[in-house]
Amino acid sequence: MPQPYLSPEQRPLVELRNVHVSFGSNHVLKGIDLTVRKGDAVSIIGPSGSGKSTILRCINGLLTPERGEVVVGNTSVHTLRTEAERIALRKRIGFVFQQYNLFPHLTVLDNIVIAPIRILGVEREIAEREARELLAKVRLSDKVDAYPGQLSGGQQQRVAIARALAMHPELVLFDEVTSALDPETVGEVLSVIRQLVEDGMTCLLVTHEMRFAEEVSQQIVFTEGGEIVERGTPREIFHAPRNPRTHAFINALRN
Amino acid sequence: MPESLLTEFIGAAKSVGLNYGFLASVSERTSWLRGVVVTIELSVLSILCSLIVGTVIASLLTSGRPWLARPARAFVEVLRNTPTLVQIYCAFFVCHMLVNQSVGAQNNPMSAYAWVVIVFSIHFGAYHAEALRAGIEAVPKAMRESAISLGFSRRELLVFVELPLAFRFALPSLVNNLADLVKATSLGSAIAVGELTYASLMIWIERDNVLEMMILILLVYGALTLSVSRLGFLLEKRLRMPGYGH
Amino acid sequence: MDTEQAMTLKTPWNAPSIPPIVYWALGVVLAWTALAHFYRESMMILWQWVPHLASGLRMNVLFSVLAIAIGTLLGAVVGALELSRSRRISLPAQWYVQFFRNAPILVLIFFATYVFPFEIRIGTMYLSFPDWIKATLGLALPAGAHIAEIFRGAILSITSAQWEAAASLGFSRSQTLRWVILPQCVKRVLPPWMNLYAMITMSTTLASLVGVRELLESAKNASNTVNRTDFTVLIYLAVLTLFFLYCYPITRFTARLERKYVFH
Repeated sequence: MPQPYLSPEQRPLVELRNVHVSFGSNHVLKGIDLTVRKGDAVSIIGPSGSGKSTILRCINGLLTPERGEVVVGNTSVHTLRTEAERIALRKRIGFVFQQYNLFPHLTVLDNIVIAPIRILGVEREIAEREARELLAKVRLSDKVDAYPGQLSGGQQQRVAIARALAMHPELVLFDEVTSALDPETVGEVLSVIRQLVEDGMTCLLVTHEMRFAEEVSQQIVFTEGGEIVERGTPREIFHAPRNPRTHAFINALRN
Repeated sequence: MPESLLTEFIGAAKSVGLNYGFLASVSERTSWLRGVVVTIELSVLSILCSLIVGTVIASLLTSGRPWLARPARAFVEVLRNTPTLVQIYCAFFVCHMLVNQSVGAQNNPMSAYAWVVIVFSIHFGAYHAEALRAGIEAVPKAMRESAISLGFSRRELLVFVELPLAFRFALPSLVNNLADLVKATSLGSAIAVGELTYASLMIWIERDNVLEMMILILLVYGALTLSVSRLGFLLEKRLRMPGYGH
Repeated sequence: MDTEQAMTLKTPWNAPSIPPIVYWALGVVLAWTALAHFYRESMMILWQWVPHLASGLRMNVLFSVLAIAIGTLLGAVVGALELSRSRRISLPAQWYVQFFRNAPILVLIFFATYVFPFEIRIGTMYLSFPDWIKATLGLALPAGAHIAEIFRGAILSITSAQWEAAASLGFSRSQTLRWVILPQCVKRVLPPWMNLYAMITMSTTLASLVGVRELLESAKNASNTVNRTDFTVLIYLAVLTLFFLYCYPITRFTARLERKYVFH
C-alpha cells in the first residue's frame, strides 16, 4: 500500500496493519487494518466472538499479535519486548472494561488515585484534587468515600472511566462498557462517554449500542469472523451498507 | 497481686484437693510467670516472622517463573509433610551442632530460643503461603488485566492488588494457622526453651501437682488462642470490603 | 470475552505432565545417593541402625492408626450429639470440641501420661495401661474433636432439598440416607479426614517426649550412642525423609480428591 506523506496532525494516533491473532487452532483475528485519528471516536461493531475485544487488547499490549503491526503514536507496539516498555505504553492508554474491575478493597477515591500516585509518582494531594474534579465530571462527587461494592453497575463504570482518565491518557479504549449494566444505568455511562468525545478525547469503542455509536462516532467498523467486513461513516454503515453481511447484521438489529 | 488474695486462693484450692502451693513461693511463682511471658514473646515474634515468610513464599509460588516457583513448592511440601518436632530437632541437634563446629560453641550466636523462632516462622510460613497462594489465585483474571492496563508492573500488581485481596480471602485460614502456632509453642519445651510448658514441667516435677499445673497451662493457652481468634475477627471486620462477597 | 473463550480452548492441547510424586521419588533417591557418597562410613553405621529405626516407625504407624480409629468413633458420637436438638446434650458436646481443639496436643499427651492411672482394676483383674496407650489416647481425644467438626460440617452442608428431591423420586428415608446423603457425606468427609490422619501421624513424634519408643526417640538414642557429627546429620535427615515419604502421598492424594469433588 502506498503511504502518502502525512503531517503529524494528520498522522493517525492508532494504526493496525494486517494484524493476526490466534489461540491454539482458533484464528481470532485474520488481518485487521484499522486507523484512528487523534480526536476521533471510532466504534467497532459486529456479532459476539468476532474478535472485537481482541483488537483492543492488541493496542495496549495485553496481547501480542503473531503477525502484523500495531502503532500507537510513535510506539510500535508489536516490537515491544520488555515489561517496562509495555508499561510505558499502557500509561498512555486508558482501558475501560465490561466488568468495571474496580479494586474492591479501595474506596472510590483510592481507586482513582492509586495508579497516578504509585505509577506516575504524583503527589497524593494533587492526585486527590484531580480525582475529585474527575468524580464531579462523572457526577459522582457524593461517592468519594464509598467502596465499589456499594455502588450500582453504572456508578462503578463511571468510576472506572474516571480511573482511566486520571492517568491523562492520549486514548481511551472502551470494551463493551455497557453490556453488563442494568438498562436504566446505561444512559448515565453513555452520557459520560459522549461528553468525553465532545471534549476531543480519542476514543475507540467496542459496543452493542448502535444508536449511540451512530451518534458519537466519526467512523464505524463492522467486524465479523475476525475480519473487517466494512468501514465508513455512521451514515454509510447504518443507512447505506454496501456489504450484504453488514446489511444483514444491521437489519437483524433493527427488527 | 495482693499476697492475701493469693493465700486465700491457695487455701480454697487446697480445700477441693488442688495443690497450688507453688504460688506462695516467690521464686517459683516468678519463674512460672516468666514462662508465660516467654510463651507470649515467642508467639508474637513467630507470628510476625511467619507472616513475612509466608508472604515471600506465596509471592514466589505465584511468580509464574518455574525456577522460583518449583523450589518454593518443594520447600512448602517438605515443611508441611514432616513433624514440627522433627524440624525442631533438625534445627537444634543438626544445624546448631554444625554452627558450633564451624565457629566454636562459645562463638555460636544461636540459641534454642532462636532456632524455635526460625522453625516456627518457616513451618507456619509454609502454611500461610498455601493459604495466600489460594487467595492470590482467587483474584479474578479480569482484575489483574485492569491493573496491568493501568500500567502496573508485576511487582506493583502483587503488592497493591493481589496481596491485599489475597490477605483478605485467606484471613480465616491465616488466623487458624496462628492459633495452631500459639499452641505449637509448647514444643519449645522439647529443647528446654523456658516457655510455659517447660516452666510448668519444672514445677510439677518438684511438687507432683500435674493436674493442677495442667489446668493452669490449658487456661493460659485457651486465653492466648482466644485472643488470637478475637484479634483475627476484629481485623476481618476492619478489612471488610463493603458490598463485596460476605 | 473473545479472549476468555479462546484461553479455555487452549488447555486440551497441553501435554500430560509428569506427576509431582515422580519428581519427589527421584529427588529423594538422588539426595540419599549423594549423602551415601559423601558420608560413606556413617552410612554404614546408619545401615546397622535400620532395624532399630524400623521398629520405631512401626510404633508411629500403630499409634496413628489406633488414634484415628478411636478418634473417628469418638468424633462420630460427639458430632451426632452436637447436632442434637436438646441443648442439654449438644452443649457438653460443643464444650468437648472447643476444649480439645484449643489445647496443645503435647499438653494433652502430658496430661494423659501423668494424670491417667497406670492400671485400672476390673473386678479382680488389673488391666495395665502402658504409656504408649496413654499417649495414643492423648492423640485420640483431640482427633475426636476435629472429626466431630468434620462430620457436623458435612451433614449440615447437605441441604434439605436433597431429602425432598429423593423423596419425590420415591426413595424411602433409609434409601435416601443410603444412596443420597451418605455418599455425599463421604465425599465431603474423606479429604479433611485424611488430612487429619497425616496430622496425627506427625503428632505421634510427641510421644517421644513422654519416653515412648518411637522413631524420633530411636533416632535420638542412636545419635547419642554413636556420637558422630555426620551420623547425627544423617539420622535426623532419615527421620525427616521417612515422615515425608509416609505423609506426602497422603496429602497429595487428598488434594487430588478435593479437586475432583469440587466439580460435583
